[in-house]
Amino acid sequence: MKQAPRAHVQILIYVGLVILCFAVLYPVMLVCKKAFEPGTQFALSASPIPTAFTLDHFSQLFTERGANGELLFLRHAVNSIVVALLTTVVGVSLSCTAAYALSRFKFPGRKTGLTMFLVVQMFPATLLLLPLYVILNKLGLLNSVAGLVLVYSTTAIPFCVWTLKGYFDSLPRELEEAARIDGASPWMIFRRIILPLSRPALAVTALFSFMTAWNEFIMASTFMTNQTKYTLPVLIQSSVTEFSADWGLFAAGAVVTSIPVMVAFYVLQKYLVGGLTAGAVKG
Amino acid sequence: MSTVVRQLRDFSVGAALCILIASAAFVGVRNRELATRQRSLADRAAAEIAEGRTLPDVRAVIVGPATPSPKRPYLKSRQISDGAGWRPLTATAAGASPDDKLFYDAATRYERETSARSPVRRDGAELDDDATILLPDGSGRALAVRPIANGLAMALTPPARPAPYPFLVLIGVLGLGAAFAAAGALVGGRAARLGTTAGIAALAIPCVLWGSWIAAALIALVGLGLAFAQGANLTDRFAAGVRGHKTALGFLAPAAVSMLVLVLAPFVIGLVLGFYDHHHGTWSFVGLHNFGEILSGGGRALDDPLNFWFIFGVTVLWTLANVAFHVTIGVALALVLSRSWLRGKGVWRMLFIVPWAVPNYITALIWKGMFTGEYGAINSVLHVFGLDGVSWFSSWATAFSANVITNTWLGFPFMMVVAIGALESIPKELYEAASVDGASGWQRFRHITLPHLRPALGPAVTLGSIWTFNMFNVIFLVSGGQPGGSTNTLVVDAYRWAFERGERYGMAAAYGTIIFLILLLWTVFGSRIVRSKGAES
Amino acid sequence: MNPRPEPTAPSTDSSTRMRLVRAALGWRAPAVVSVAAPPVVKRRRLPLVLLVLLGLLGCDRGSNATVLWHAYNGAERDALVASAARWNAEHPDRPLELVAVPYGAFADKLTSAIPGGNGPDLFIYPQDRIGDWADSGVIEPLEYWVDDARADRFSDEAVAAMAYRGSLWGLPIAVKSLALYYRTDLVANPPRTTDELVSITPGKHGYAVAYANVDLYGHAPWLFGFGGKILDEDGRIAIATPEAAAAMTFARSLVAKGLAPDHAEGPLVATLFNEGKAATAISGPWFQSDIAAGVPWKVTTLPLVSATGKFASPFLGAEGILMSARAHDKDTAFAVMDALTSDVAAIERAKLARQVVPNVHAFDDPAIAGDPTLRAFRDQLAHTAPMPKGAAMRMVWTPYKTALGEVVAGRAEPGPQLLAVEREVTSYLVPERK
Repeated sequence: MKQAPRAHVQILIYVGLVILCFAVLYPVMLVCKKAFEPGTQFALSASPIPTAFTLDHFSQLFTERGANGELLFLRHAVNSIVVALLTTVVGVSLSCTAAYALSRFKFPGRKTGLTMFLVVQMFPATLLLLPLYVILNKLGLLNSVAGLVLVYSTTAIPFCVWTLKGYFDSLPRELEEAARIDGASPWMIFRRIILPLSRPALAVTALFSFMTAWNEFIMASTFMTNQTKYTLPVLIQSSVTEFSADWGLFAAGAVVTSIPVMVAFYVLQKYLVGGLTAGAVKG
Repeated sequence: MSTVVRQLRDFSVGAALCILIASAAFVGVRNRELATRQRSLADRAAAEIAEGRTLPDVRAVIVGPATPSPKRPYLKSRQISDGAGWRPLTATAAGASPDDKLFYDAATRYERETSARSPVRRDGAELDDDATILLPDGSGRALAVRPIANGLAMALTPPARPAPYPFLVLIGVLGLGAAFAAAGALVGGRAARLGTTAGIAALAIPCVLWGSWIAAALIALVGLGLAFAQGANLTDRFAAGVRGHKTALGFLAPAAVSMLVLVLAPFVIGLVLGFYDHHHGTWSFVGLHNFGEILSGGGRALDDPLNFWFIFGVTVLWTLANVAFHVTIGVALALVLSRSWLRGKGVWRMLFIVPWAVPNYITALIWKGMFTGEYGAINSVLHVFGLDGVSWFSSWATAFSANVITNTWLGFPFMMVVAIGALESIPKELYEAASVDGASGWQRFRHITLPHLRPALGPAVTLGSIWTFNMFNVIFLVSGGQPGGSTNTLVVDAYRWAFERGERYGMAAAYGTIIFLILLLWTVFGSRIVRSKGAES
Repeated sequence: MNPRPEPTAPSTDSSTRMRLVRAALGWRAPAVVSVAAPPVVKRRRLPLVLLVLLGLLGCDRGSNATVLWHAYNGAERDALVASAARWNAEHPDRPLELVAVPYGAFADKLTSAIPGGNGPDLFIYPQDRIGDWADSGVIEPLEYWVDDARADRFSDEAVAAMAYRGSLWGLPIAVKSLALYYRTDLVANPPRTTDELVSITPGKHGYAVAYANVDLYGHAPWLFGFGGKILDEDGRIAIATPEAAAAMTFARSLVAKGLAPDHAEGPLVATLFNEGKAATAISGPWFQSDIAAGVPWKVTTLPLVSATGKFASPFLGAEGILMSARAHDKDTAFAVMDALTSDVAAIERAKLARQVVPNVHAFDDPAIAGDPTLRAFRDQLAHTAPMPKGAAMRMVWTPYKTALGEVVAGRAEPGPQLLAVEREVTSYLVPERK
């Protein structure tokens, strides 16, 4: 539609958006409310406004010490950051080269390779836990950051390859052909032409890898046996168990853990839309 | 290329495979051989001590019967004799040795097993008829137990290491095989292939010597396969292909290798585990029994929540409902959010993406809390509107709806973002031309918007349906399968087999394989249907 | 890109454009490459980084430390840390290392780690998995080191809880059972029989008793009070009995008469008790940290079931230190176990964390004997039912919970539901193989 609709229709639509937004953000508001409200029980009222305000949960979160006297939150946050950043780097590096190969080169098994990346997403991850545990054990990578990073990266690769390949497909080939005539090697073409032009898709891929590692909980708690090696999701999850639930601590942890992801989303949002679609349209 | 080099190249590829096979055979054999050796030694020593003689290096004793404590029947005191008279078998007695505990435990175990009707005990070590076991601590010691008149005769062998890896043997055989291949190549013609095959066959010699016939047969197969491939020129073509595409393979290699090790290998292991049953720490081969039990519904009625087909139905319904809601809400929001007159698009998009950004195990727990209890947030909201509260998890329909609501909330942002991108790529001139032509809003939507949306949404829907089918967190954390396990999906039920029903990893693995096959069929056939529909329109 | 001599042939439009583009790219290259450089440069260094990480983080076990896994939080953990510190001060050559593992994954981690040689030497866990682990060879039998003198240190029920199939598998460190908490401002005298319980009227919208009624653990006091069972003396399943049905009917009547909340779980029980909406609550020692400040409360033993004259008996949960079958130094590990369950350590735990300890002589200490809460739990121990340890027990929880849910909500009858539970549990059990 080229002409804007009449004013009252516009207002109706805005109002509708506000209501929908409120409904969508309501659970998040409840978490924030719980984080600032005293008490360990889950909120029993519908209102998203805290009745009393306290920073106790946050202070408890930040000052709780572990068995060896170290600050738990700091330790786990560092673990999470290290794991997530390494996963991003490893995941993006592994995916972009593979996506480039699948996009630009014709080799036997290319179609199969593409389908494999899709098929691999179909394995229920929870059922791969035990075999992965055995394999990591044999490689000596249990209870280590390296093992976790490798597992997360391979989990993120299929989606990243799919997105990047779609994006690479949409890049015109004339640049590469010109560079090839000039005598540049495929690796240099990749590094100096394709990568700089792919920032939206790389941003999406990096964000996705980061999110996979930052938010993941089951594998972290299975493969790490030492409390000092745990990541943030495991710490947060441990405050809500079957027997004792400290929802205040949980909410505070949830708020703090979600902030980096939200920031990353905000910074990269203009790439998100472009990056995801290009992949989708051509993929 | 020169025949010799060519034959050697083909030989080395085949030889690499055969070395793997031979090594696997060796590992299997050497443990068996060690076990047999040690156990027979222990048996002999136990027989000897019954006569009062001892073998050198082997510690043999006689353990007397147990005198249980009157207050506590599980605390038994025994006596032990190692040829120098009887003494109490306790940790603090004079003359106690570190091995005494092994004898004590062996006596308890032996008596328990011979008195029990069903011999259950598996210590993770082999248990054969005479109760001679290889100790599970990896030291290679064997302990034999033999009943005699005044107690139990026992013998403990010294530790032993399994035979070391036969590097020299394998290198020698490799050299021999390479020599055959080269000799054949030098003679030329048919003999070249014969030489390579003979070279591969040479690698089967150690397997034959170790008595590992399966490995020998496999190696022979490899040799024959190689000969055939050479005859059909496959090896040359393959080598040329690798050479020609080496850049592509170079780019592909890092991702491919890590996927092979960390995705394909676990999957194959999971596949194989589906043919075994895991019970109390031991694996036993059951063939297709797990699959049969799952697919036949376990002999239960069709509406029993433990029947595979019931769960399958629930899962399909779950996937369809979720994907339908995701697409509808996502596309509707995308349409509204791409109106050119709308202000603050960036802000709206950010806000609506929040459900996707917050970790889903957190939000699943929050939603569960919101649905729980008479005063949960959802019920409180209903009260505000004057409606009665609902006990969400006590009936299938409401529990299922709770799951769907949660997952819809989690999943629509993804579809929304994909749709926004697709909508923004539609050139505005099309709309202008259409409105100039007098097309109505609905016609514009049907003939311009929809065809542009479809190629973007197609893969997104496929991916989304796979993710939803395998979604574990929401079902497990929100409804937890209530009521009575009827809202479990396939993935959740498989998890319960693995961790809640006695570590039945075999059943869980079979389940995983079945889930995978279902999704594979859906993708293959589903995409064919979608493509044909797309071709029609 | 390497500079090359420009082609001398006349250039077409597109190649001019390409050259301009290339030139533009090349000119921008420093900025672009530096932005793109970090991921690419890091990629070259990446294998090295990974190798170093692998090396550093691969294996980090101290050479001869005894490793103990636990799932304690708060005061219990502090008490354990104090005991460990004492051991380390006395035995610097054989250190003890405590590792905290979250409770949720604890048992599964053990079952997968120990057979592979990766697990701890000792761990603290309730007794309900002892049967499973003993049959699978995960834990080590201890009666070799334990004689009557040592066993006399503990109360009989606690040690018996650690025994299975003729062997002793752990030393008890704490005992837990449910008891009756009551608000002194709502109930002057706590109910001593169930008839008294059902006659409590705490006021509008209030409940007489709040407890986790659709969980077998919470329902157990009624089950055993009415004479029901789970396993009989031979270890066979005996779930569907008339007494068990009577217990379920009683639980249903409590909800139907508005005396107990439906489908309550721990957090809700705490909230209701704190807000004065429940006069009494049935919960365990862990409940004390959930009670809000300013709420006047006391603990006493559970009431007598008027219909049968038996005391409502909850499960006896004995937590013990168990030894892994792959512990690398079993004698030291046992010495650690012994020290951690000594009277000194037990008194410390009772005082610091208000744990109910099984050591008989701990209650000689005046501080502990004078604590009414600890006394109440101690008295309740006399009226508890031991938790069966066989594999069957582990499968019972979920189906029983389902059945309870249906009956308490009034949607089904106890008899058929109990039969369904029996059928389900039997179908999960794999018949013993030769």
